[in-house]
Amino acid sequence: MADQKNSGAIRCVIVTPETTGLDTQCRSVTLPLFDGGRGVARGHAPFIGRLGAGEVRVKGEQGGAADAVRGVFVEGGFVEVSHDTVTVITQRAIPAEKIDIAAARADLEKLTSTKAVGDEALAARHKAADAARALVRAAGRGR
Amino acid sequence: MAKARALDRRRRSVRNIRKITRTMELIATARFKKAMDRSVAARDYTKQLAKIMGNIAQAGASVTHPLLAVRPTQRAAVLVLTGNRGLCGGYNSNVVRQSVALLGQWKSERVAANVAVSGKRGISALKFRGVDIAETYTTFEDKPEFAAVAPIGQAYLAAYAAGEIDRLDVVYTRFHGIAKQEAVAEMLLPLAAPQASDAPAKAELASDAYDFYPSAETILEEILPASFLSRLFKCFLDAAVSEQVARMVAMKAATENAGGLIKSLSRQYNRARQSQITGEIMEILGGVEALKK
Repeated sequence: MADQKNSGAIRCVIVTPETTGLDTQCRSVTLPLFDGGRGVARGHAPFIGRLGAGEVRVKGEQGGAADAVRGVFVEGGFVEVSHDTVTVITQRAIPAEKIDIAAARADLEKLTSTKAVGDEALAARHKAADAARALVRAAGRGR
Repeated sequence: MAKARALDRRRRSVRNIRKITRTMELIATARFKKAMDRSVAARDYTKQLAKIMGNIAQAGASVTHPLLAVRPTQRAAVLVLTGNRGLCGGYNSNVVRQSVALLGQWKSERVAANVAVSGKRGISALKFRGVDIAETYTTFEDKPEFAAVAPIGQAYLAAYAAGEIDRLDVVYTRFHGIAKQEAVAEMLLPLAAPQASDAPAKAELASDAYDFYPSAETILEEILPASFLSRLFKCFLDAAVSEQVARMVAMKAATENAGGLIKSLSRQYNRARQSQITGEIMEILGGVEALKK
């Protein structure tokens, strides 16, 4: 525990309905909250937040370089921060290096070219397009 | 010779059957282990969701949500989870019996029931009983995927929110442990209101009060559907695990039974052969005696 404090480590856990995608010690985590990014390091006040579509960036994992970044794309969900543990609960999590960038671009293309009629359809399309855009962005960064 | 040969033929066919049942048992064991691992891996998600819901309830958010609204049941939805294949003991018939009982109850209360069935066995059994099935799924095997279950759940959520159904029951086999599985009808909608977490959680640090982004109510609104989906997914996982256990047990019993059958057939065969040999010797002796005279 003492050396954990010295290194300023926090625990980052990403769970999906099917499995625990990631469980690791790291220096800091950047979360895509619904209205923008938020960084969490050791000693952060506890909070529960809603996530948007975007990339969770895990920085300085134990056993890796101090400034190495691991990116995981999540599509919505929640995050709970307490006791220096970041728990991300999401329905879909894809490691950034595993995103098929061509397929993601094609999806985005398709979404932006289809017509949506009515408020609900528009909102749904807007949400899907946002997610697709975030996916493409995360894929680009993963390269 | 005819009787002994027939016995031998029967013994050979029982041996072949035993080979098949033993193989099926091994396959079921392997599949059970995989299904069990998936089920265990899925537990974390449910646990974390429950934890957050507990924290929100503790923060004293006012809990009003369409999914929590309890309405008098006029239209019910029933989802029955069975297997695609038989040879698994009472697994399918127990679920079917449970669902027929539930449907009978809805009928006696004059509640319109919308029935959806997963698994070929359940579909044919319920069709045979004259149940009107609205929706069928046959794609769920021993590895149900969340991506496949989610659309079904979303459809139920939409129907409930729109007032098309007042209640959703899932009939499936709950997995308590390797020695105990039971067919149950579980009500998934309306959802139970989140409960504040237990006393030990409260006894932690004073600085444990959470901030909520954007607000406890908004998060609750989003988390309730997610919690419903995860519960529905757990039903599918439980059904998959239970099916493999049931098949494992049934095939083990069948293998043992075949062993016993082979033993008794062997005994009969040996006896028949021996008596035949004895008969032949007697005949030869009789012939020799006759020639001596």
